[in-house]
Amino acid sequence: MSYFVVGYYALLIGLSCLAAYYKQRTPFMLLFSLTLASFIMGIIGGVSALWTVTLAAGALALAAGTSYAFREFLVIILPRETAKEIKTAPLTASFGMFVIFTYAIAGIFAPIIAPHGESQVIASAFAPPDETMLLGADQLGRDMFSRIIFGARNSVGLALIATLLAFFMGAIGGLFAATKGGWFDQLLGRIADVIMSVPSLIFALLILSIFGTNLAVIVVVVAVIYSPRVFRLSRAVAGNVVVMDYIEAAKLRGEGTWYLIRREILPNSTAPLIAEFGLEFCFVFLLIAGLSFLGLGIQPPTADWGSMVRENATLISFGDMTPLIPAAAIALLTVSVNFVVDWMLYRSSGLKE
Amino acid sequence: MGDILRLVARRLGLGVVTLFVVSILIFFAVELLPGDIAEAVLGQSATQETVAAMREQLGLDRPAPVRYVEWLSGAVQGDFGVSLVSGERVSAAIGPRFRNTLFLAAYAAVIAVPLAIILGIIVALLRNTVFDRVANVLTLTSISSPEFFLGYILILYLSVKTSMFPAIASLSHGMSFGDLLYRSFLPALTLVLVVTAHMMRMTRAAIINLLASPYIEMARLKGVPPWKVIVRHALPNAWAPIINVVALNLAYLITGVVLVEVVFVYPGVGQLLVDAVSKRDFPVVQACCLIFAATFILLNLAADVGSILTNPRLRHPK
Amino acid sequence: MTTTKQKKDILLNIKDLRIEGYSDEKWIEIVHGIDLTLHRGEVLGLIGESGAGKSTIGLAAMGFARDGCRISGGSIEFDGMELTTTPESDLRALRGSRIAYVAQSAAASFNPAHKIIDQHTEAPIQYRISKRLDAQEDAMQLYERLRLPNPTEIGFRYPHQVSGGQLQRAMTAMAMACRPDLIIFDEPTTALDVTTQIEVLAAIRDIVDQFNTAAIYITHDLAVVAQMADTIKVLLKGNEVEEASTVEMLENPKEDYTKSLWAVRSFQRPQKLRPGGDAVPVVSVQNIDAAYGDTKVLEDVSFDIYEGMTVAVVGESGSGKSTTARCITGLLPPTKGQILFKGEALPPSYKNRTKDQLRQAQMIYQMADTALNPKVKISEIIGRPARFYSGLHGAALKNRVDELLDLIELEPSKYYNRYPPELSGGQKQRIGIARALAAEPTFIICDEVTSALDQLVAEGILRLLDRLQKELNLAYMFITHDLATVRSIADEVVVMQRGKVVEQGPKEEMFQPPHHAYTDLLLSSVPEMDPNWLTTLLEERGVDNVGEAADV
Repeated sequence: MSYFVVGYYALLIGLSCLAAYYKQRTPFMLLFSLTLASFIMGIIGGVSALWTVTLAAGALALAAGTSYAFREFLVIILPRETAKEIKTAPLTASFGMFVIFTYAIAGIFAPIIAPHGESQVIASAFAPPDETMLLGADQLGRDMFSRIIFGARNSVGLALIATLLAFFMGAIGGLFAATKGGWFDQLLGRIADVIMSVPSLIFALLILSIFGTNLAVIVVVVAVIYSPRVFRLSRAVAGNVVVMDYIEAAKLRGEGTWYLIRREILPNSTAPLIAEFGLEFCFVFLLIAGLSFLGLGIQPPTADWGSMVRENATLISFGDMTPLIPAAAIALLTVSVNFVVDWMLYRSSGLKE
Repeated sequence: MGDILRLVARRLGLGVVTLFVVSILIFFAVELLPGDIAEAVLGQSATQETVAAMREQLGLDRPAPVRYVEWLSGAVQGDFGVSLVSGERVSAAIGPRFRNTLFLAAYAAVIAVPLAIILGIIVALLRNTVFDRVANVLTLTSISSPEFFLGYILILYLSVKTSMFPAIASLSHGMSFGDLLYRSFLPALTLVLVVTAHMMRMTRAAIINLLASPYIEMARLKGVPPWKVIVRHALPNAWAPIINVVALNLAYLITGVVLVEVVFVYPGVGQLLVDAVSKRDFPVVQACCLIFAATFILLNLAADVGSILTNPRLRHPK
Repeated sequence: MTTTKQKKDILLNIKDLRIEGYSDEKWIEIVHGIDLTLHRGEVLGLIGESGAGKSTIGLAAMGFARDGCRISGGSIEFDGMELTTTPESDLRALRGSRIAYVAQSAAASFNPAHKIIDQHTEAPIQYRISKRLDAQEDAMQLYERLRLPNPTEIGFRYPHQVSGGQLQRAMTAMAMACRPDLIIFDEPTTALDVTTQIEVLAAIRDIVDQFNTAAIYITHDLAVVAQMADTIKVLLKGNEVEEASTVEMLENPKEDYTKSLWAVRSFQRPQKLRPGGDAVPVVSVQNIDAAYGDTKVLEDVSFDIYEGMTVAVVGESGSGKSTTARCITGLLPPTKGQILFKGEALPPSYKNRTKDQLRQAQMIYQMADTALNPKVKISEIIGRPARFYSGLHGAALKNRVDELLDLIELEPSKYYNRYPPELSGGQKQRIGIARALAAEPTFIICDEVTSALDQLVAEGILRLLDRLQKELNLAYMFITHDLATVRSIADEVVVMQRGKVVEQGPKEEMFQPPHHAYTDLLLSSVPEMDPNWLTTLLEERGVDNVGEAADV
């Protein structure tokens, strides 16, 4: 038995006892169930399994620490009102904000940050990592790390444009439908029903097979596919506001539709709409990544995470993690946005579940 | 009972109309091609004669509505025309692959549905505890990961590093059922991971929503034991939301299946569709789209009919 | 009565009860040390405004705290058993068998998936008090005692197949199923109309008397609690104000707060008469019919409102009083008949009316929360109509807003830049009034403006409306179901039932017999601050002739 194993169990059991002594039920349950799980894992997986647990715990602690520090940072630099709200954010949400912040920096300053050009061939195919190449080379000998950085600009940028377009179409349609009602509402509703009755990826594939894979087509198609979701939500949110007496009062005053939407409805719908924007971004981002992965999205040599997974997929069968890195980049951003949205939804619903 | 029958009939009618509209959409989308199919497929280098010959072969000289009616009546009988690339009948190519896809989806569903509902209920009962928070983070992570990410992780750890399962789901005719299950385990597991997370979250939300109703509080104040509160008071009212959750996620499986089939080189309709799209084999694309869309619409239809039929207020009219 | 009970043993003894609620990530105390003693067979009325902690205390008497609440201190002793330390499984054994609960909304508290009688027999079967068939037999007897129609059959229906008043009685029967020692009634009649309320009150009182059950009766309505309780405890924001026997409490309240509750309807103003000669009414509703889709909701409604006068439109929910207001404002164009404004016919839909026509008729709403946009500043809420109709700008606009705030007795500099959620209910209602006045109208529709407010605040609003009417010579249409409000402010009364006007005339005539039969029922069904009111009324009418049975 190595010192590591002894130290590992001693630390866990010691902490459990400490938690139990101070009657901290939740930490105790966590620590002790981890101890029990470690016994089983240690028996099955040996010391390496315990190392994995230690590393995972370390990574979690690091993430938690970063999130905490980032939240404090935001509280200090932001104006008072916003800071007060940020203070109540759970660590998951501030972790999400931190990741989004990092991605934004990477995307905006990509040419400065990336050590090599986007499609610059600098090594042999699948060269392993060395001092100049943090993550090694891809199937054509381009620097993986630089391409990941440029991918932040291309993949996220495209998804953002598509989301904005979808959001714009859906929200305007939804707000007008809720305010006007009648045949206009009916018509838009039926159109949304038809679009939503075809699975999104299938719809995208059908249209891309016809118009070919160019960026404008992708943006428009994806926006059309996801705008019904925004339409339904903004219509529902605005629908809840429209029945309020203050809307009736404004209507009876003789106000026009545009005034109603801008001054009375919109200020009361922002919270759910912002949360929906985040969710919508996740859907769009994943759909575009999926299309790229299928070779039908952003075309080479542009660096894009979805295509990078596909191009390097063969490495997986040699036990190499490289293709997982761009995939992980996609997952990390989506998770982060979801964390932030989850917090916003929790706040805006005010549910004390 | 009149009311409920009328509602179901109306919903079924709406489903048929939607299917019809979607078939029009799929057929006429191809008509939007700049030029026509023959030009698009043969490219600019083709001579006038070859283009004309292809037009002849596809009957493009007749008006689109006529061709639509022919296509639809063929599709209803399982005949989707001829592939432009291989020249083989589309139905012959799709048939066995559709069975494989259904098998994969059913495989995933059989594991995911009970698992997700049970976990969802447990998490709902443990709400606001550490377990709930951890489950929330895990399910969010799983939802946020693209299918190919999960797929490759599974390949890396369960196939390449430990060789427990095959990375490539090559199915052949006459395999035993056990072998089938074993070979397609990884693609099924990938789907299970994504769908379970979705379903768990939705089940949790539905149950929590239900547990907040006054009649549940009343049952607790009558001294009904907790398990009986769930089984007798919550469950009969929970069927509608649960059916909805299940159907929605089965429909979601359909989209997921395409990507997972490509990752694991699984011989299903999804892969066929992706191939056909890149080769611009329109009859195959149309057929695959129609099949996927029809399945999707039918599942949503089933969910709505299911929730109408289980609604106690509708079952026992005034 | 009370003295003999004192000697009997104590059933429930609560000492220094403290309850905390979870909000904004912290626990905040919402009940601050309440003591309560209840003897066997005694009925205690808990009374207080919303937020007083009545329901929370009622549930705590069962050892129960809602999600997001916890009992943080004190003791609850039920028949010698300390509920705060009893394990959950033993507490559960008490609930339904020895302590039962009757909820405010029976429609929401019955499970829609099961028949009423199956929910009724659930507790007796579970506690093995009786077998299924015996329990059903007993349920039917209870239904009969509670004077439910078709007692042998009604239990076999599903909850949504039975009316609200009947469901409330079925729920009382369910609470009685195990013959508990204590029943908690949590606002059981609040959601009901006055005519239905009586039958439920009578049924509850009878059954509690018959089985000599102790009860805690929670309500915000003093007149109701006066009929039901032996003792009354007044609560305010989680604190006890005072406790006394019902008679003593009514005749001789000690605390100022209690006195203010009693004194509310002191405001009364003299009745005005219609201006003579050939004066033209400001608003004249002439034979209108209206429908929502295919359902006809108004039939041949006519009445006139003259300058400077208040016409109260009364009726129960569903009588069509709010629909009439919607027809006048043009939100729901009538299918027949017309509305004249100062002798001129108004276009049926508000969309076709001129800015001036819209300006002349304004509306004040019941729920100030939904009537004011929470995201708009007070200055903009009041300023918008002034700018929209009169084109005021800059300093002139600001002066006008200040003037309006002065008019509704709110300090302009203090309220100018605030948002509605920062105000109290009464202040919001005042802002609603100011918004209506900003348009310089001649006619205002007041839709249940006082019914969501606590009584003292409501009184203030009525006085304000009266003063404004005198100063600005306004005509009011006052929609209400509260006859006390009618008595204090109306000049003329219109009584509506099921979309028709059953009777109308000057207030003093309307409150004097002889009435139309429905007016009579409505008037006599309003609980009065007299402990013997219900008893007397039941003697007059006979027990079988109340509520739905007394339909006219």
